[in-house]
Amino acid sequence: MAGLDFSILPQQLVNGLLLGSIYALIALGYTMVYGVLRLINFAHGEVFMLGSYAALFTSWALGFSPESVKGIDKASSPMNLIIMLVVSMVVCGLIGVVIEQLAYRPMRNQARIASLITAIGVSLFIQYAGGLFLPQSPPPAISEQINPFRNEKVTFTIKPAPKEAVDKANVAMAKARESDVLYEKAKLDGRPAAQLETMRQANQEAQNEASSLQTQVSSQTSGIVIPFGQLGMLLTTVFLMLLLWFVVQKTKTGRAMRAVAHDFDSAALMGINVGRVVTVTFMIGSALAGAGAMMYATVLRTPLTPFLGVAPGVKAFVAAVLGGIGNIPGAVFGGVLMGVVETLVVWLDGLIPGLGGYKDAVAFVVLIAVLLFRPGGLLGSSKVEKV
Amino acid sequence: MLLATAALVLGLAGGCTPPSGTTGGTTASTTAGSTSGDPGTTPGTKRPDPTSDGATIGETINIGLVASQSGEQKPWGDDNIKGSQMAVDEVNKAGGINGKQIKLLVGDSQSAPEQGKSAALKLIADGIVGLLGEVASGITQQMAQVSKDAGIPIVAIGATRTDLADIGSNFFRVCYNDDFQGAVMAKFAWDYLKLKEVALMTDAKLPYSVGLSNSFRTSYEALGGKIVGEEKYQTTETQFSGYLSNLKAKNPAGVFLSGYFTQVGPIVSQMRQAGITVPVMGGDGWDSSDLITSGGEAIVGGFFCNHYNSKETRPEVQKFLADWKTKYGGEPGTTMGALGYDGAKLMIDAIKRAMDKGGTKSRDITAAIEDTENFPGVSGTITLKGFAGNPSKSALIVKVTKTGFVFEKSYTPEELK
Amino acid sequence: MRIVSILLACGFAFGLDTVVSQQFQSLYRLVVLAGLYITLAVSLNLINGITGQFSIGHAAFYMVGAYSAGFISKTFYAGQVSPQVWMVGMAILGALFAAIAGFIVGLPSLRLRGDYLAIVTLGFGEILRIVTQNIEPIGGAYGMNVKPFGSPPQTLWLAWILAVLCIAVCRNLLKTAHGLPFLAVREDEVASSAMGVNTSSTKVTAFIVGSAFAGGAGAILAHAESFISPDMFKMDVSFIILTMVVLGGTGSITGSVLAAVALFAIPEWLRNLQDPVTKVPIQIPGPALVASILAVVMTVALLKLAQDRYHGERVKKIGLLLGAIFAGSVAQMVLNLALSQIPSLAAKSFEAAALRMVIFAATLIILMLLRPQGMMAQHEFSWAWVARVFGKKEKVAA
Repeated sequence: MAGLDFSILPQQLVNGLLLGSIYALIALGYTMVYGVLRLINFAHGEVFMLGSYAALFTSWALGFSPESVKGIDKASSPMNLIIMLVVSMVVCGLIGVVIEQLAYRPMRNQARIASLITAIGVSLFIQYAGGLFLPQSPPPAISEQINPFRNEKVTFTIKPAPKEAVDKANVAMAKARESDVLYEKAKLDGRPAAQLETMRQANQEAQNEASSLQTQVSSQTSGIVIPFGQLGMLLTTVFLMLLLWFVVQKTKTGRAMRAVAHDFDSAALMGINVGRVVTVTFMIGSALAGAGAMMYATVLRTPLTPFLGVAPGVKAFVAAVLGGIGNIPGAVFGGVLMGVVETLVVWLDGLIPGLGGYKDAVAFVVLIAVLLFRPGGLLGSSKVEKV
Repeated sequence: MLLATAALVLGLAGGCTPPSGTTGGTTASTTAGSTSGDPGTTPGTKRPDPTSDGATIGETINIGLVASQSGEQKPWGDDNIKGSQMAVDEVNKAGGINGKQIKLLVGDSQSAPEQGKSAALKLIADGIVGLLGEVASGITQQMAQVSKDAGIPIVAIGATRTDLADIGSNFFRVCYNDDFQGAVMAKFAWDYLKLKEVALMTDAKLPYSVGLSNSFRTSYEALGGKIVGEEKYQTTETQFSGYLSNLKAKNPAGVFLSGYFTQVGPIVSQMRQAGITVPVMGGDGWDSSDLITSGGEAIVGGFFCNHYNSKETRPEVQKFLADWKTKYGGEPGTTMGALGYDGAKLMIDAIKRAMDKGGTKSRDITAAIEDTENFPGVSGTITLKGFAGNPSKSALIVKVTKTGFVFEKSYTPEELK
Repeated sequence: MRIVSILLACGFAFGLDTVVSQQFQSLYRLVVLAGLYITLAVSLNLINGITGQFSIGHAAFYMVGAYSAGFISKTFYAGQVSPQVWMVGMAILGALFAAIAGFIVGLPSLRLRGDYLAIVTLGFGEILRIVTQNIEPIGGAYGMNVKPFGSPPQTLWLAWILAVLCIAVCRNLLKTAHGLPFLAVREDEVASSAMGVNTSSTKVTAFIVGSAFAGGAGAILAHAESFISPDMFKMDVSFIILTMVVLGGTGSITGSVLAAVALFAIPEWLRNLQDPVTKVPIQIPGPALVASILAVVMTVALLKLAQDRYHGERVKKIGLLLGAIFAGSVAQMVLNLALSQIPSLAAKSFEAAALRMVIFAATLIILMLLRPQGMMAQHEFSWAWVARVFGKKEKVAA
């Protein structure tokens, strides 16, 4: 069935926005570090990965390990989520500072490319050391039961499904429930096998009908469904970004960060403790990645491996460059743009089958196109060197 | 510069030492380069025989195993190694094969085909008489080619891609192949679940997934069903909402997910969130206790095709699970534990039969493996004789519940005709 | 002198082949790969080190060469000419296709600087890889089989001759007047442009030549391995080649050669580390490993302190050096004892082979911290240096 389905476009755009908010959080870390140090922190993706694992271990400590939840429904509270978020952010902030002190600070006066190689080394080291110590076979995932809001969603209906369809679905669902009850009772009654099989088939058909009509109603409803968890993710991201903006623009530390980003040596001459500013920058950037990581692991419930940070890391990095590396609003803009573009490419797969496989490439194509016209990124400055 | 180049060219021509045994240009070049899931071995096609006799059985019997000890496939690789090692230890404790101890030499394929080939070559150089592995079809293909060149029999553990058996007559599996699995699930979807229209979710990066989806499609359409759409994702992805919105618009009555549990869990979870409530099914790539953790409530009620089920009463299954618990604690994370065990046991059994007949070389072991009939494996009764490398086995379909997998239905090869 | 060098290099390749064929049959593949990596590192050095362009997507050219040559071999070869001649032809073809790719990548370099150029080169590599992954006729995500070509000795010859050729070309560029524009662009692009150097053509030429050699190496790879897949040309490969260049000393060809061999050999050596007697892979217990990591961190920090603080004072430096190593060893033993008390850690043990990537990464970090300018910095091996060494000896004797 070729052809673009425009009724799902609003949902796809929202999907892209949600995906983009994760990229934005990671991209902020890249851009901030680049701003002060002119260094591409290749290890940032690994900090993200460690943040996910921190969230996982916290969820186990809070009583939601796989063994504890097996077969039972455990109640959770929003407090659990907040604890996990805080722990992830703190752990990532600390790791970021440690990396900066041990690996980047000594390289401050060396050629930039040397720092780059060190960053690559740190990235590889964390990946493979994690491969030795972190649980990964099979890749563990955070239990969904820790999220008390997992079944809630927010729905914005643009055009509801036709009434007959909804009614038909409701009737079918009621029939299915009845049929199920009858079948279970028949099983317990110990009816003969042949009769049981006929009943099972009838029940199966009733269930199929119900679920099929239900899905159809859902697809006929033109609107946007945002699961609570993802909405929470978006709101937290916005909140953190506003907080960051406030810190950078309105506080003394933020002013120092901006000064160092503008001109490292002059800032030092003006009496700013550049060492401390760099450390604080790393801490904040890594903490943001930690927040993203916690949400990635808890809301999206991705199975975790030590190589988890590689793909989002690269995408977020591209996002940061896209927006103009060193530019904080740029990173947010770039991240969201990347998420939306990626999702739209998948949507376009309906028109050009197979296009979906190229979605990662499209991100880079967009990047190169942007850089050719605006070498400093979308929101960055395109300074031309004049003699 | 010209003079230099001339010197170099002369050097090249002059320095060519006479080619060793394996010349370039293998006669039986495989067509396995294409990923468009070939329908399978054409009956009657002769599988090429290895020219070499292979290694000689020494005082210690060296069996090689190539598995992924690192990389994306690590979960299956680790279980594979544990299962095979358990089999070897068990036999050694009971006195080995005719008094000779067995040594399991493990090589790391790093989840990559060229590394698997390299690891296999090294093990062959170390003097193995038989090779086990791998779990992924892509990696196994490279291993199969070098083992054919060296005359060493290879027993694949989890590689289900149908055309692998065409590489050489030294290739065997302990798992069923994709043609079979796809046909089983198609029949299940059509006959048992009464689904008339199904959508597919395929992992485009996995030859296994691509092959299984194609096989399902062929069988399902042959039964009269309709495939309303196929969405392709890549193994390391985590956000599937884009694909799912597309899928929903096609109004499927059911969805077949041919990928690994690592993605299937999140996909189904996101699927339910997106409002797709129809039944879901899959292949043996779903098998892992972790599926329930990552899929949560969403995956409960799903069906997939498996090799064995831990609640089965068959003595082989119970003994295997008890031994595993004693040796490693808990249960195997994936089916590769049982398949690894079966593969090793099968190889050992064949070596014993070969030695009993007076055989001393890998060629004799290959013949013995080919002769295998009704081997009682944990993953089912395995008969290889006359089946050109693909064992005739039953498939078990299990249903996912909150606490584990329960048996739903089984299909024998005869039932599918 | 130049002829002598080249003949010596040929002799070396011949000797290498003889030694390997006699003693270490299983090492053939590794030696071929080492030769290919040398070509890759030196060709990247031409772009990065000599011309000063920031290119970190070199694996893309490697891939173009491999896939183009591999595809043509797979489709068209039917024994028309002897395998050796065909392979040489394919290498040239791979180089040509890669050169085209290099030209395309070189164009953005005219407008972009530094980090932005780096991203674009990286992006280009990824785009090519993803596109290849999606094209079914050349194998798609799974990969493509190329008929095995030529016996191992022949591929070894070809790989190492390409390496020699690459070194020769780059060295000639560096040491003669041809190379001056490249060096000028590296030092100061604006000034050299003002002096009349055609910076555009210089930069693009660097990309074309560098990518051509990488493409040739790729073609050889396809035929030597007889299987290529997009996963073999991921970003990691580009980073490893870049690391070889930087570790050896950006701008030093000798450095690139040495670093390429070293960085390639170390993981392979670690992979095969076995107890010489029992042939069992060496196991390292958990506490010892963690203790070693922490101790190494401490030692390196102290070493760096020694290096920075006592820059000219040799004696103090060596003193602190020895002190650091001693302190590190003590720390390792103490920590080992302490950590052994944790039962979950004490129960874990690791095979040496599994540690090899960790050790590789750690070595990288340590080398960068302690010698950021790379092994050879900007120096080169030259006959003049040899003469000086021997000349000096004579002087002393007299």
